[in-house]
Amino acid sequence: MLKKSLLLSLMTFGLTACGGGDIKPDSIKSEVPASTESRDQIKIVGSSTVYPFATTVAENFGRSTSFKTPIVESTGSGGGLKLFCSGLGDNHPDITNASRRIKASEVERCAENEIFDIVEVKVGYDGIVMANSRKSNQMNLSLKDVFLALAKDVPDGSGGLKPNSYKTWNDVNPALSTNKIEVMGPPPTSGTRDAFVELAMEGGCKTFDWIKALKKTDKKAYKSLCHTIREDEHFIEAGENDNLIVQKLNANPNALGIFGFSFLEQNADSVQGSTIDAMPPTFENIAEGSYPVSRSLYFYVKKDNVNKIPGIYEYLAEFMSDRASGPDGYLAEKGLIPMNLDEHSEWKASVLGLEPLMLN
Amino acid sequence: MRPQIQNELRRRNRRNQIKEFVIQGVLIASSFVAILTTIGIVASLVFEAFRFFEKIPLTEFLFSLEWSPQTAIRADQVGASGKFGVIPLLTGTLLISFIAMLVATPLGLLSAIYLAEFAKAKTRDIVKPLLELLAGIPTVVYGFFAALVVAPIIRATGSGAGFDISSESALAAGLVMGVMLIPFISSLSDDVINAVPQALRDASFGMGATHEETVTKVIIPAATPGIIGSLLLAISRAIGETMIVVMAAGLAANLTLNPFEAVTTMTVQIVTLLTGDQEFDSAKTLAAFAIALFLLILTLGLNIIALRIVDKYKKKYA
Amino acid sequence: MPNYILSTSRQMAKRHAREKRFKWYGRIAIFISIAFLVFMFSAIIFRGASAFQQTKISLDINFSESILDPSSSRDPDLLKRANYKPIVVESLLSVIPEVTERRDRNRLYKLLSTGAVFDLGEKVADDPSILGKSKKVWLLASSEVDLFMKGKIDPNVSEDLRRLKDRDIEWIEILKSEGRIKKKFNKTLFTNGDSREPEMAGILGAAIGSFFSLLVCFLIAFPLGILTAVYLEEYAKKNFITDFIEVNINNLAAVPSIVFGLLGLSIFLNFFHLPRSTPLVGGIVLALMTLPTIIIASRSILRSIPQSIRDAALGLGASKTQTTFHHVVPLAMPGMLTGTILGMARALGETAPLLMIGMVAFIVDIPKGVTDVATSLPVQIFLWADSPEKGFVERTSAAIMVLLAFLILMNICAVYLRKRLERRW
Repeated sequence: MLKKSLLLSLMTFGLTACGGGDIKPDSIKSEVPASTESRDQIKIVGSSTVYPFATTVAENFGRSTSFKTPIVESTGSGGGLKLFCSGLGDNHPDITNASRRIKASEVERCAENEIFDIVEVKVGYDGIVMANSRKSNQMNLSLKDVFLALAKDVPDGSGGLKPNSYKTWNDVNPALSTNKIEVMGPPPTSGTRDAFVELAMEGGCKTFDWIKALKKTDKKAYKSLCHTIREDEHFIEAGENDNLIVQKLNANPNALGIFGFSFLEQNADSVQGSTIDAMPPTFENIAEGSYPVSRSLYFYVKKDNVNKIPGIYEYLAEFMSDRASGPDGYLAEKGLIPMNLDEHSEWKASVLGLEPLMLN
Repeated sequence: MRPQIQNELRRRNRRNQIKEFVIQGVLIASSFVAILTTIGIVASLVFEAFRFFEKIPLTEFLFSLEWSPQTAIRADQVGASGKFGVIPLLTGTLLISFIAMLVATPLGLLSAIYLAEFAKAKTRDIVKPLLELLAGIPTVVYGFFAALVVAPIIRATGSGAGFDISSESALAAGLVMGVMLIPFISSLSDDVINAVPQALRDASFGMGATHEETVTKVIIPAATPGIIGSLLLAISRAIGETMIVVMAAGLAANLTLNPFEAVTTMTVQIVTLLTGDQEFDSAKTLAAFAIALFLLILTLGLNIIALRIVDKYKKKYA
Repeated sequence: MPNYILSTSRQMAKRHAREKRFKWYGRIAIFISIAFLVFMFSAIIFRGASAFQQTKISLDINFSESILDPSSSRDPDLLKRANYKPIVVESLLSVIPEVTERRDRNRLYKLLSTGAVFDLGEKVADDPSILGKSKKVWLLASSEVDLFMKGKIDPNVSEDLRRLKDRDIEWIEILKSEGRIKKKFNKTLFTNGDSREPEMAGILGAAIGSFFSLLVCFLIAFPLGILTAVYLEEYAKKNFITDFIEVNINNLAAVPSIVFGLLGLSIFLNFFHLPRSTPLVGGIVLALMTLPTIIIASRSILRSIPQSIRDAALGLGASKTQTTFHHVVPLAMPGMLTGTILGMARALGETAPLLMIGMVAFIVDIPKGVTDVATSLPVQIFLWADSPEKGFVERTSAAIMVLLAFLILMNICAVYLRKRLERRW
């Protein structure tokens, strides 16, 4: 009796393990010459800023077509590009989201792993905000304030540098409050981090003439000076989960959080964005470009996988459709700053034509 | 006996012997899975930790006081400086575990003593399952409770009293972890107290002691090694706990003993380092394995000491 | 003489008082512990009970064929992708005609969940005969409307501090007066997988993922655990190897669960290249974690079976195997099953090891097998707990209630088994 039940359990196990993955709808089998060993679900990784948009499109795509809903993981732009460029094949993602443009070194890495044709898709625009809980007062910061509050080394007033010892906002700028500097931001895997150091930190760093001059003479030192963020308790790396940062802001009214505009919009009832150089972070200001810390959002697709994994082309079609990323689309409702009609049509044509990326 | 029958019996005997042999083989093989698992755990941790120590010296890991692992992931990027000292993580872990033990030890011990010695059978029948219920609650539920209910209450009480308590204070996480440990300590202590032979109790009563005096002056001292063993096992459990601290404790390394501040623990860092960017070449990802190895040695060490104490104690009264 | 009688009775009074105090300490300790339990349960039920209801809005929808299926193809895919927004807006305007501006119409449309049009799509695709007719349909309302109906949004708070504006509230009141907005039982919680929108998020995907993980775990851990326990108790001689195995098992029982996750990551994912985020790998990791518990519990059951049973069987000519598997094990099986169920209950609640093997992605589809990407119920709770939208807070609590219900059920099963089938020797 025992042997029989053991045998039975082994058989059931075998059968259940075989279940799942193999069932494909007939319509797909005829359209795409998929190999029988490939997986049939799109794998997406990457930016936590693009994550809310990618997941919304993925969900709508899954519900309105017979393809499986793509799996989306939030790894950070840098982390995602690393996974993306690690190779072709089922164990590697098909698409990676990025809240900054792919860098030349990453394209090189992709090429090293036999990935030559990458399709770049621009999604829209986004602003990076420094927000705090509505329970506190709104802060008015200048880029210089941001740099002085967060850099690892700051100017010492006589042409040199000293380690950052500012503890309160008042230390940085007498016009600001005496609250302790407590900023939660993304780790280096995040595109938001890259964009923040390039736009905000560097923007504030440049206001010192001698540092600006350094850019021409020693670019590496300039970058290191402007991009390095302090590592004490005043800047806390809060991981790739922007939702969590919003929650922590609710619990700690003194802290500021760095994240994308969509998170500000979706939680406007509990958090507020600080004005940067007197510009409040609003939809209009970011779309016009007058808010100083705004950037474009992208995602990258392996052209080779479009034929291997069912549904990628249709996913692209859904993402670039007017109802999704158009000026009145559902992504705009989620906080995406969409491209204007002309730009959107241009990108739509290039993406649906699967034109490979050319970095100039 | 007819030769056919003899041969038949001989054949059957051999068949049965083979069967016995095969079955015994299967049994031994399945027991080896436990050993394989241990080997697997040790191998995977040691192998990756070794690769980590090729990049970061062991002395820095064990003695440096700074933990700042978020290094740049590209050549043209500027990240953190990459300090990999485990001490701030260890102090964070120990601080939270200490607070947890402060809560769990008196509550767990006193409950166990009362249930073992004083309670009526009906009370025991009701209370024991309730305590077991506390033990069965998943740690993610405790974590949710800690982050969304306990931490705000503590923070509000603190600011009402004039203290600035972080929303990720060691106090919140430690408190809830303590509640989780109460049934653990209670059931282990219960076993230990029941192991004290009746003869000691009878002797004490015979000398005219009250029940309480018997308990405090005879049974507890006799059971002390066993109780210490149980407490060590509880500490080991607290150190290895993950979900409560991931949800309620902080992310930044902080070398402090102040329970009102946010600290991070070894388990939180393992989770943070491994969800997201996962390149098995960078010191950052490998650091998680180094921490895990350190954690494993710590918890196993505590367990071995605890079990040895409890064994010696049980042998004394066997 | 009177002197020391008085002093001893004073002493006795002190001693009795101390005993009384001590007993109270014990009672207070138990009381505090149980109070924590009650506090936790009530906090969770308080937050989660409202999630079992969901607000729905009823509208008379005219399924106009010219808009939805102009070519009369009746192709389900096309029907699903058709543009339902105009017919929904038309229906809304028939109830609240004073909305004229385009921006306001969009706001009115937003009272419904973004998933409502997909529900309509599926409805029409399932039954295309509905085209050309007009029908009354209950559609899912958006999360903000739902929270308002549950009293969780305070209309007196200043307008820019909330996402539901005054105009929205006016419209909701109109719908209420016509009986077109009601709270109904929340089926979506139990029939949907995860979603970006709180009102459409459900636990079915996570529950099935947990089920598959536990299935794999059981199929691996139960036979291995029983066989190991049988070997160690019945067959093994007291030698170095047996001691080594026992020490290993005791140590494994004490290893933190996250280390098992790392084992899964580095060996099963990186070395054996098993599929990431699947219940297959999750089940294997959980099995390795539960194995020591099952072995230790089974061994103690086997030890409690009296030697007389074995002696009797051997005396009647049974072989060692026959004795063990035909007599001892069947008698021990109820106890071993109880231990296994309790081990499974613990595995059900485990989160950390599953995080390490990647079951943390956004997964909408319901898994159909052990090699489909999935998540598990405790991981789903963990992921939802991070979302600050109020709609998710109540859902997280509801998911916790479901998880606890399963656990309590499993524990009751185990205790029942133990009581019914236990034998006193």
